[in-house]
Amino acid sequence: MGKTWVVFKREYVERVRSKWFIIATVFGPILMAVIMVLPAVLAMRTKSSSDLSNIVIIDATGSDLGSRVAKALTTTTPEATAPRLRRVQADQVADEEKSATSEVMGHAALGYMVLDSNTLAGKEMRYAGRNATALIDVQGIERMVRQSLLNMRLEREGIDPSRVAMLTAVRLETKTEKISDRGKEGAGGMASLFFGYAISILLYMMIAIYGQSIMRGVLDEKTNRVAEVVIASVKPDALLTGKIIGSGAVAVTQVTVWLTMGFLMYLVRVPILKAFGAAPAMASGAIKIPTVAPMIGVALFLFFVLGFAFYAALFGAVGAMVSNQEDIQQAAMPVMLMLISSVLFMQPILLSPSSALSVTMSLLPFSAPMIMPLRMAVVAVPWYEIVGSLASVTVGCAIAIWLSARIYRVGLLMYGKRPSVRELGRWIRMS
Amino acid sequence: MSEAAVHITGVTKRFGDTVAVHELSLVVPRGSVYGLLGPNGAGKTTTIRMILNIIVPDSGTISVLGRPHLDEAVTNRVGYLPEERGLYKKMQVRRVLRFLAELKGIKPKVADQRINKWLERLQLTTAEKDWGNAKIDELSRGMQQKVQFIGTLVHEPDLVILDEPFSGLDPVNSQALKDTIVELKRDGKTVIFSTHLMDNAERLCDSVCIVAHGEKVLDGEVAAVKAARGTRNVALAIDGDVGGAVRHVLADSLLVARMDDQNRYFEIELAPKADPQELLRRVIAAGANVRRFELISPSLHQIFLERVGAKGVEEGMSGHG
Repeated sequence: MGKTWVVFKREYVERVRSKWFIIATVFGPILMAVIMVLPAVLAMRTKSSSDLSNIVIIDATGSDLGSRVAKALTTTTPEATAPRLRRVQADQVADEEKSATSEVMGHAALGYMVLDSNTLAGKEMRYAGRNATALIDVQGIERMVRQSLLNMRLEREGIDPSRVAMLTAVRLETKTEKISDRGKEGAGGMASLFFGYAISILLYMMIAIYGQSIMRGVLDEKTNRVAEVVIASVKPDALLTGKIIGSGAVAVTQVTVWLTMGFLMYLVRVPILKAFGAAPAMASGAIKIPTVAPMIGVALFLFFVLGFAFYAALFGAVGAMVSNQEDIQQAAMPVMLMLISSVLFMQPILLSPSSALSVTMSLLPFSAPMIMPLRMAVVAVPWYEIVGSLASVTVGCAIAIWLSARIYRVGLLMYGKRPSVRELGRWIRMS
Repeated sequence: MSEAAVHITGVTKRFGDTVAVHELSLVVPRGSVYGLLGPNGAGKTTTIRMILNIIVPDSGTISVLGRPHLDEAVTNRVGYLPEERGLYKKMQVRRVLRFLAELKGIKPKVADQRINKWLERLQLTTAEKDWGNAKIDELSRGMQQKVQFIGTLVHEPDLVILDEPFSGLDPVNSQALKDTIVELKRDGKTVIFSTHLMDNAERLCDSVCIVAHGEKVLDGEVAAVKAARGTRNVALAIDGDVGGAVRHVLADSLLVARMDDQNRYFEIELAPKADPQELLRRVIAAGANVRRFELISPSLHQIFLERVGAKGVEEGMSGHG
């Protein structure tokens, strides 16, 4: 135990002292905040094209739908060029489209829309123009056509035009709340979805980054030839244990700093968001931190610790298996695949967190550390599943450490070509 | 203090189909300088690693300083310099050394004092520059070797094991190493080192063990090993050109059984029943300008060649010690 502590201390201190750790720890949250806030701010600032109404409306419906749309467009962007309405017969549409296309090409118009019998039937309209890929423009145009069509239909049914606007003014937003076994839990839906996603991604990132850093550390000790001096003083198992706990502690340190900084930033979020140009009302209410029950917090921590130990042991063995940088990525592939496969399934699991796939993935030792927290964030997972998952990860972890320690013990003194699976089997039996 | 520093009994180690060490037994007396000699691939490094409990033998027992070698307390009293040397490149010298000392159970404070003493002694801390605060990869090769050497001795071990310590050393450092080995012996420590340089071993060692193909060829005190061979060897040094006539005499199998021809110096093993006086007469008669003619015990080098043979040396060239 004493020597494991010495190894742990070296691993921890040397990593925490390194420039990269300091840079990543301090600038990580800032970078992340920028990544998260920037798109929101940009989205808020993005408006539809100012000359949206500068288009040609080819109306082959034989109704006044075209002029209704034109009116609606003029009302939204009064300062821009007014739309040009062309009423045509159905067989003239093709010719009109040709001339409209050349107008757009000659910068006389931004685009053109075609309204026909299909539009009247409420099925489709067509739009072509320079801004055809700008989602916000297309959605705006679509909304106007839909509204105009609706108004037209209602008026035909004999409803007073002045009342139509009032009756169709339905702007609906969904406010969600999550209910678990303990009752209502406040911010639900999107917030907990986002929270679960964030937790899983964070776990994945930490395992991937620090697991691989152990792998490189072990290879480093091998190529530096310092490994032999060290294992003349300390048992390989104690060395591996010390390294895993050491790196794990570094990861925990980093996450703790990040969470603290994140919380501080949350406290001062209003001025920050204002500085980015968000409206004060929006800034004060935009972000809500979902509350985490203490038991869930403990479970999350356990999942992190066990998941980390599982992958760290395997990565450590990979580092001891190879003798040079070229081989290491290939040798790490099986471990990386296990890790990545868990992340690949995050999307489907988020959509149906109680499906057979989700339950299975949250019970398998290699994916449980990332998938179970994800499920726990979005649905109320029965306690026995959580316990079962933790038990399965614990067993998986024990097996991984046992196997890795054996590979590590033999591999540390082996130089040369990467061992085959058969040779690995012999190493495991040998020690 | 009567028991042996290292006692190996019937140790065997196989790697797959190859037998690295076979039924090896040896005793390293306390307070002695002990040489583990043999060609490359003889099993020297494997033996050393088994003493250090880095490799587990398939069979046989090893005791170190009177205790089973698995004992952690024993590990703390052994210093080891492996053949392939290296340290954490990105770590500061003092931190590396403190780490190595702490691994041997030395308290950080005590370690720091000793480290400073060593750094000064080996001139890594001078008035102008303190290399102790530099990172390992900022040091020259020679300085790195010094740091590694401090790491081997910083916990003041009772048993020091050096694997091929002379390889890659320049003459100055080589001399410093010899001085240190002698000094360690004077302080009552036991030093085991492996080498394939027989001259070094003959001058430094109290006892030796020669191994080849994983088996012991002979062992014992150097003086006894040599005395057992008798004085059937002749050291012959010749000034000026060694003519064809002289070579003809030396090729006479009735006089010379074996000869190490070093151009102007010859170590000759006399043929059975050959008279050294007759050899001297005939060499002079052949016109040689003899500077030295002396009856000697065979050198370790001669004994080694005789017992292991050129074959053993060649076969071992490709493998690892």
